[in-house]
Amino acid sequence: MVRAAPFPLRIAGIVFVVLTGLLLLAPLIVVVGVSVSENQFIAFPPKGFSLRWYQEVLSSSTYLAAGLVSLQIGLLVTVSATLIGGAAAIAIHRRQLPASELIATVFLSPLVLPTIIYAIGMLMFWSAVFGSVSMMTLWISHTVITLPYVVRTTLAVLAESDPFLEEAARTMGAGRLRCLWFVVVPQCLPGLAAGAFFAFNISFDEAVLSLFLRKPGLTTLPVQVYGQLEFSPDPSVAAVSSIMIALTILLMIVIDRMLGLGKFASP
Amino acid sequence: MADVQLENIRKSFGRHQVLHGVSLHVASGEFVSLLGASGCGKTTLLRILAGLESVTAGTVTIGGKDVTGLPPEKRDIAMMFQSYALLPHLSVYENVRFPLRMRRIGSREEQDARVRAALETVQLGHLGDRRPRQLSGGQQQRVALARAIVSNPKVLLLDEPLSNLDARLREDMQVELIEIHKRLNLTTLFVTHDQEEALSLSDRVVLLNAGRIEQEGAPGEIYARPRTGFASTFLGSANMIDVDVVEEAGSAMARIAPGILLPLSPGERARGAATVALRQEDIMLSATPPGVAATVRTRVFLGARNRYVLTLGDRSIRVLTPHDTVFPDGETVFLTIPPERVRVVDT
Repeated sequence: MVRAAPFPLRIAGIVFVVLTGLLLLAPLIVVVGVSVSENQFIAFPPKGFSLRWYQEVLSSSTYLAAGLVSLQIGLLVTVSATLIGGAAAIAIHRRQLPASELIATVFLSPLVLPTIIYAIGMLMFWSAVFGSVSMMTLWISHTVITLPYVVRTTLAVLAESDPFLEEAARTMGAGRLRCLWFVVVPQCLPGLAAGAFFAFNISFDEAVLSLFLRKPGLTTLPVQVYGQLEFSPDPSVAAVSSIMIALTILLMIVIDRMLGLGKFASP
Repeated sequence: MADVQLENIRKSFGRHQVLHGVSLHVASGEFVSLLGASGCGKTTLLRILAGLESVTAGTVTIGGKDVTGLPPEKRDIAMMFQSYALLPHLSVYENVRFPLRMRRIGSREEQDARVRAALETVQLGHLGDRRPRQLSGGQQQRVALARAIVSNPKVLLLDEPLSNLDARLREDMQVELIEIHKRLNLTTLFVTHDQEEALSLSDRVVLLNAGRIEQEGAPGEIYARPRTGFASTFLGSANMIDVDVVEEAGSAMARIAPGILLPLSPGERARGAATVALRQEDIMLSATPPGVAATVRTRVFLGARNRYVLTLGDRSIRVLTPHDTVFPDGETVFLTIPPERVRVVDT
């Protein structure tokens, strides 16, 4: 039997949990609160209730253009990161490549590399080699930083799968390629879906790379929000943020219903 | 259906040699068990036959065709894995249809008929829509069996398929395997470390030890006449006792210790130092002479039987008796063994 923790420890635990929840949720509540304010200025608690800032955002060509850029890049990144990351995870999982460990480390390294350093490097490299930045630059750099998530979620489901499935499929007449398509890829699907979800979210949310690699006409939503906040702060930034929060929650519910994200919560 | 010929199979993993030249012929429709302790090479041999492992030397022939270099999907075999290896994303029905799909056997209707027939054979006709993880271990097992027989393979390979089941289900599955084999008459190779399973299921038992065939033969024969010390201990966990075989009053006796003699069958002759194998169930105990005196050390109640650990001189001997033969610890008992059951074996 596990003995219950001593009383002071339990109290400390409860305080810790409540604090964590509060610090996670409080900023979101503030943002949503500010977004429905009637006031011209960002202030909390909000004065009155109005949806005018939402109307403002949805009729603003600047916000909509930025949203479209973010959406395009997000979708492109989702596809490329899922394909490349999934293939890499399958290859790493098999451990047949001579430098499996090294390759895994390379694919996971963007997690520890400070994004700002990568952003500066990417800007200098791209300018030197290809000239001015384009949507392609953002696509590639976002793919690089989202790859580790796809690799990790896919490796997680592969680690739980029966190692004899592929051999069994071979004995049932499936050649290497059909084995990959009919057995390995379906095994990976939950991991790929979760990875795709992370990839889209991170790309959609990414500000550092997008800030360094921006140019007129290539402004993503986070960069637009940042600019607005810096030069003419009003509750419209809160409205945009609230819309993003709502979309993320919706996406999470959909994916969770379909596949269950719970298993990826733990490392 | 086809016969299987393994010729002088050698296999090394790096410097470690697992199989030292194994040759084995399995006749068409025969049920052969590969029996041995873990690490003896029995699973490697099966995997070589399946094409999942390459050979270092030797040839594999199935139905007269040399398949040594062929990948598994090109050999017309089916294999049942210890973990069952059911595809978790497919229904039971689709799992069983998988080999037909991959081998492109029959039209969609023919496939449907064969899948249904295979599921009926293992009494799972009603569970086709379920996912594997919704089934019990025994049911998953039977799905794996249905999937193995559905394509009517030339050879059926079973890799310890019963070892993850509890005792009762195991017995049921053994009966089912025997009946399915009788009906379909598939050439079958069955890998197991369980001697009872090997003896009860197969037409022939092949006992492997350290990458070599130790002995092979019909179950009755290999059980009754183990030729080596290893065979004796592995089959029936016999007591192995070093003795001197001497001649007293015209007949051969095994001398366990000075003055302690065990009569041998009339065919035996004096030959000096040797080892005798005494099966636990062949030894009879009584409270009174005649017999060899020993002391009861421990009794283990097994339900249908008792297992006694006895002290005889400086050795301990294990004996299986009926459940109603009860002696308290420390008591002196007398052992008798029919002379024809005492086997003098090579060491």
